[in-house]
Parts: sequence; structure tokens; C-alpha cells
Amino acid sequence: MIQHLLLISHVSKHFGGNVAVSDVSFAVEEKQIFGLIGPNGAGKTTLFNCITGFFPTTSGDVIFDNKKINTLRPDEVCKLGMARTWQRVKPLGSLTVLENVMVGAFSITNTTREAEIIAREQLQMVELTDYTTKSAGSLSIGLKKKLELARVLATRPKMLLLDEICGGLNHTETDIILDIIRNIRIKGATIVFIEHDMKAVTSICDRIVVLNSGEKLAEGTPEEITNNSDVISAYLGGGHHA
Amino acid sequence: MSFLQPLLSGILTGGVYALAGMGMSLVFGVMNISNFAHGDLMMLGMYMAFFAFTLLHIDPYVSLVLIIPTAFLFGFMVEKLFINRVIHHPHQNQILLTIGLGLIMSNTALLAFTSDPKILTTTYSSSAFNLPGGISLSVPLLISFLITGVTIAILYLFLAKSRTGMALRATSQNREAAQLMGINVAKMSAIAFGIGTALAATAGALIAPTYYIHPLAGHSFLLKAFTICVLGGLGSVVGAGVGGIIIGVVEAMSSTYWSTDWKDVIVFVLFLAVLLFRPQGLFGKKGGE
Amino acid sequence: MKKIALSVIAATAVALPIFIGENPYLIGIMISVLMMAALSSAWNILGGYAGQYSFGHAAYFGTGAYSTLILLTLNNSLNPLFCMAMGIIVASIIALITGSIVFRLRGHYFGLASIAVAEIVRLSVLNLEFTGGAQGILLSDVSLWGIDLNSKNPFYYGMLLVLVVTLSISQYLRTSKTGYYLQAIREDQDAAASLGINLAFYKNKALLISAALTSILGSLYGLYIRFIDTSAVLDLRLSIEIILTAIIGGVGTMWGPVVGALLLVPLAEMLRSNLLGDVLVKAGLVSETSGIGVFLKENLAHAHVLVYGIITVLCILYLPKGILGLFRRVK
Repeated sequence: MIQHLLLISHVSKHFGGNVAVSDVSFAVEEKQIFGLIGPNGAGKTTLFNCITGFFPTTSGDVIFDNKKINTLRPDEVCKLGMARTWQRVKPLGSLTVLENVMVGAFSITNTTREAEIIAREQLQMVELTDYTTKSAGSLSIGLKKKLELARVLATRPKMLLLDEICGGLNHTETDIILDIIRNIRIKGATIVFIEHDMKAVTSICDRIVVLNSGEKLAEGTPEEITNNSDVISAYLGGGHHA
Repeated sequence: MSFLQPLLSGILTGGVYALAGMGMSLVFGVMNISNFAHGDLMMLGMYMAFFAFTLLHIDPYVSLVLIIPTAFLFGFMVEKLFINRVIHHPHQNQILLTIGLGLIMSNTALLAFTSDPKILTTTYSSSAFNLPGGISLSVPLLISFLITGVTIAILYLFLAKSRTGMALRATSQNREAAQLMGINVAKMSAIAFGIGTALAATAGALIAPTYYIHPLAGHSFLLKAFTICVLGGLGSVVGAGVGGIIIGVVEAMSSTYWSTDWKDVIVFVLFLAVLLFRPQGLFGKKGGE
Repeated sequence: MKKIALSVIAATAVALPIFIGENPYLIGIMISVLMMAALSSAWNILGGYAGQYSFGHAAYFGTGAYSTLILLTLNNSLNPLFCMAMGIIVASIIALITGSIVFRLRGHYFGLASIAVAEIVRLSVLNLEFTGGAQGILLSDVSLWGIDLNSKNPFYYGMLLVLVVTLSISQYLRTSKTGYYLQAIREDQDAAASLGINLAFYKNKALLISAALTSILGSLYGLYIRFIDTSAVLDLRLSIEIILTAIIGGVGTMWGPVVGALLLVPLAEMLRSNLLGDVLVKAGLVSETSGIGVFLKENLAHAHVLVYGIITVLCILYLPKGILGLFRRVK
């Protein structure tokens, strides 16, 4: 039997009268790199917020590692091994880069010494060791994205949800981040990531779900998705060329 | 009958509270700032009415014609000189700045006017209007309630119909979007703070004939205004209006059926109860944030 | 280097009463400095580290003072330290109620609710009978282990001890998991929650530590001054002074509150005692009987709050990180 690490089952999210996510279902298997794409306002980030406990779902369930998590708080979700990054990066501005990552590491250790060791490892992995004592608020956007990645990795997650981790980055930076993501998968983590840029997604994902206006438009391998006429028209209609 | 008496007096007093609460709520909505100087602005309104009466011999209600524009200008200037400079600062700094401004206002008043309470006695201060059933309504409270009604109606029309009013509401809904649409949000902040100040001063002037006028009188009103805003949903001007009436009635009821000493405690307990059970306020939609 | 500086400061603080022992007035001011430094440090754990500004810390101070004095007037043979512990319990209950209502919510609510709770405590004490109401409470005599508590020196060392404890807790927190978590909450609550931090739990923890320390200081103050009423220990103005001390020294820094207290308390004392007026008169700049001389004499006591207001405004506009913020290394 195939092990679903994450199961999204008929999830809907309404804000007052607005339907942001409508009856979306899909499953993510262990060690997959799973893409969640769609035009602006398709409900991707809202769905992330529902999965990670920031928004309660209006209906439907989110099952992670055989536990229902859509009624849990964000910190409880994190403790179960699911970590996320933010589309608009959220550095702990006045703390140093090292301290930022240590905050992540404290979710798996109680001692400052161990947290620092874990943090340094992660900073090495994302190549931020030159910046350890810089304040996080002073970094460039590209470095902030790397910092976010190092910080969530320090929580040693089973599953990583990355919200437009390549947004605002140039090609070289994007390639570096994609390499890091491939490395993370090799180490055994499962990754769901939201991306705007179809090329980045198709180059790395095993499987893709396309959202449009809150609904699931298509699901399949990158090849199936790029050839799907609904997806092409949604993207063209939304003004986004793949 | 004894039930109707506190209910009606409560509604009359609540009208003035509503005015103070709406001023605070407007500032909160447009600028996202909790104005801790609001009570002291009310206190300034009380003194303005007092001096208009004793020095210029103008009836306190008529003096509103002078007080409202003066207070608006004062608020506009305070925003331009001080508040405006911390609009992007952390929330706590904004609060502290308004606390500092409030301390300056109340303690300057203390130096200038001494701590002796002043009483504004008009010919009709203690007269009452008798209704059948033994209910009596204080004439100054009745007049102030009518003026409150007119003020709220004007405010409503201004916010609903005028260009500036619509721009204020747009800024309140979404500051960034309003700015993108070409609204001068800095100017809107100054106008909102001016109107907020004018409303606070009006409320102060309206209660001047029925309260002790004292440099520190603003403090108890500040907390009431907060309670009203939270009750009505932070930032909701209409909610604050209803919240004011509710607070007025709760106060009058607890004075009648329990004790005057405890009426403020009951108001603050109500405040905590709202936070516990309905943090978005009675009329708010969004919770939490 | 740092250790040497610390030892010098500690030795000076311990030896100070020996040098000025003959002058109860100066010892009194030093006690106020130590107390305000400790109060502000305790506030700083919640306000500076966790970014949760309490505008009602007088509630915890007053709770400590009132609990201790009420118990001692009921039974003079009680150990003052036991009364102090009772104060901590009452303060912790108030803190837990406040925290459990407000810390579920985001945004501006904690600041507002902290004032509401403080006002509820103040008005209740004012209206109840066993608290002495508007008259306040007078404690005639008290002793502990045969130490003469009528002299000021024991309280100097008592306040110094609590300050050292508070600073040690601050230092420990800063370098521990809890401290990192509190700072993460201050910087960005969403990011903090997504990294596994239980926001309400850690905010409550900071509030409890802060309230307990503040209550101890209240008890000590009550024993020291032996007459308290609501305007002395439960007033909103006290809460504001505590915050202002931290702001001027540097919010979120360990020594900021101490620096703030060293500046503000003597300044307030100078204004309160009309030292400025005296100096001007002695320098022959102002005649004691002239209009200005009389005005200063009559009004400077009130003016110290006005000066606090002006300092607050200037500090927020020009020095939002406080004095220590000026010297902080630029990263």
C-alpha cells in the first residue's frame, strides 16, 4: 500500500462570502517533491495556511502522518514535523542570522549549545556561514530566502511547505535554491512547494496540482500538466505565460 | 418605572460616550493607532467650554461652534507635528507617544488651572424634564443627547457622501490600496486625528455642565472610550456609537441596582468579557488580528 | 574586562550605605533607584524581550504591597517573607487570568487589557473594606529575624538583592531557549508560531515571571514605607514610570532599565523637592519671593509628571532605542 504522508480531503475555506479554496483534494506521498501552482489569487497560500494551522478550514480535513491536523495550532503542526516558509519572508529582524536559525533548532532541543550546533550545520548547508553575526533584517532578499530555508530545516521536518521560495530571485539564485531542495529530498524529507514560475516547477517536481479560483483544475506529472489544455488556458487567461 | 429611569438616563449619557468612542474608533480605523491622549483631549474640551462660559459668557452648547473648529485644528497640528512621525514605528511606540502627549496636556492643565475642580453652572444645570410615571430627565443631558444625535448624523453624512469621507473610509479599509488609488493617506491621517480630537472635545464640552471639570478628568473617560471601541469592534465607527449607548446603560443600571462605586469596575469587567467571548466586538467581522 | 566592571559596580553598590550611612535622605533615593531599576527590569522581561507592553504593572506591585500589609495588620507575628509569598500567589493569579484572556488574541489587546485589569484591581481595593479603602493601610511595627526594620539599610540591601536576582533571571533568559522564543515572538508572531513556538504559553510564562518579581518588590516597598494607599502603589502613573524607565535606558537590553532608573529617579526627586528652584534662588538668579520663585516652589512637585511627559515624547521621537541603543554595536 502506498503511504500518504499528507492527505488533503475536500478542504474548503471561506472568508465571509468569499470562497478562497473550494473542495480541494489531493495526496502527497513520502519523499515526493510536489508542486502547487496556479495564477495569482488561486488560493495556494490560503491552502498552505489551512494545512499549517494558521486558518481553520471551513470544511474538509487535513491528514498528516495519519493524524488529523486541521484543528491544531501552528506550533503543534510544526512539532509533528511539518514546517513552512513564507511568501513574504519573515526574518526575526533584530536577531542575528545564527540566532534566527537557532530559534528553529530549539524545536528539537532544549539546550542553547546544541541549538547552535544544529544552526551552524544548516547555515553551512544553505551557504550562509559568512553572515552568521549579521542581523537578519539587513540581508538582501535572496539571502533572506536562504535564511528562511535554513531556519525551517533546523526544525528537522518530515515535510517542508515552501511558499514561492524562488520568488524575486534571479536565475543563479533560483538554481542554488533548487539544488538545496533536491539535497533535502535526498536526505529524506518530503516537499510541497508553491511556485508561480512553471519552469522552476516542472524541472523539479514529481507531481503537480494546479489550482484556479480556489478549485483544483488538474493534477498529474509535469508532462501531463504542461500538455493540459485547461491549464494552458487558465494561465493564458490569468495573463501568465509558462 | 424604576427600571425605565436608569435606562433612559443611561441612554442619554451613553450618547456622549458614543461621541467619544466614535472619535477614538475613527482614529484607530484610519491610522491603526490606539490614542491614549483621547481622554485628555476630552478634558481640554471641558475646559474650553468652561472658559467660554466664564470669560466670554457663551452658553456651553453654543460654544461648540468655536470648540469644534479649534479642536479640529489642534488635532490636525498634533498629528502633523508628532503622531505622523511614528506612523511606521512599532505599535508600542505610538501608544507611548500618545501617553506622553496626554501627560503633557493633563499636567500643563494642572499647572495652569490648578487641581481644584471647576463647576460650570448654567441656569438650567439642575433643571429636569418630567415625564409621566415619575421619570425625570436632566435638561442638560437631554440637550447634549440631541446635539450628539445631530453631530453623529453630520459625521455619518460626511463619511458616506463627501469625497474626503469616502477617502477616509477607503484608508480605513486598506491603507496600502488607498495609497495606490491615489489617496493622500498622510493627509487622511491628519484629518482623521483632527476629527477624532473634535469629537473628543465635543463630548467633553457636552458633559462639562454635568461633571466636575478637572485636569485628570480624562483618565476615566479614556478607559471608557477603549471599552466602547472594543465593544463595537476596533475601528468600527457605527459599532462605537452603539457601544457608547450600551456602556451608558450598563453604568446607569449598575449605579441604580448595585452601587455607584462599582460602576467603573463593571464596565472594565465587561471589557474583559468581550475580549474573552467576542474579541471581534459585537459588530466586527474579523477576529483576532 | 566585563567581569572587572561588574565586580566594581557590585562592590560600590554593597559599600554605598557605609559611605552615606549618616544620610537617610540619600539612602532613601538610592532605595528608590534600586527599586525602579528592578521594577523596570522585571517589566522588561515581558515588554522588552517578548514585546508585550504591559501598561498596568502597578497592579502586581500593589498586589504585593497590599497582600503583605493586610496580612501583617491582621497578625503581626507572621513572617514577612510568608506574606511576600502570599503576594506572589495573588499576583500570579491575576497575571494568569489576564494572560489566559488576552494572549489568545493578536494585536493591540494586551496593552488595553493590562490597563483594564489594573483599574479593576485599583478600584476594588479603593471600594473594599478590608483593604482600608481610600484611607489606605498603616503598619505600625514589623521585624524579621531580629533585624531592625525601622532603619533603611536592610531595605537598601533587600532591593539590591531583588535587583540582582531580576538581572540574573534576565541574563539567564536571554541565553536560554525561553529567551530566544520570547524574542522571536517580539519580532514576528507568525514566524514564531510556524517554528513550533506556543505563543500563548511563552507569553504567559514571561508575564508570570515578570508579575511575580514585581509583586516581591511591592511587598518590600510596603514593608519599607509601612503606609500605602491606592495612589501610591496602584496608580496608572506608576505603570507609566516603569515603562518610561525602560524606554529611556533601552528596551530589551539587560542594563537599559538600570541606566534609566539612575537617570530618572534622581531627576524626579530634584523636581519634587524643588531642588531646581533652590539652586536658582541660591545662585541669585531668582528671588524666593518673586513670582517665578513662588511659582516654582508651588508647582514643581506637579511638574515632574509634566517633565516625564516631555521626556517620553522626545525619547520616542529622537531616541526610540534608548540611551543604550546609542552605544549598541552596529551589526
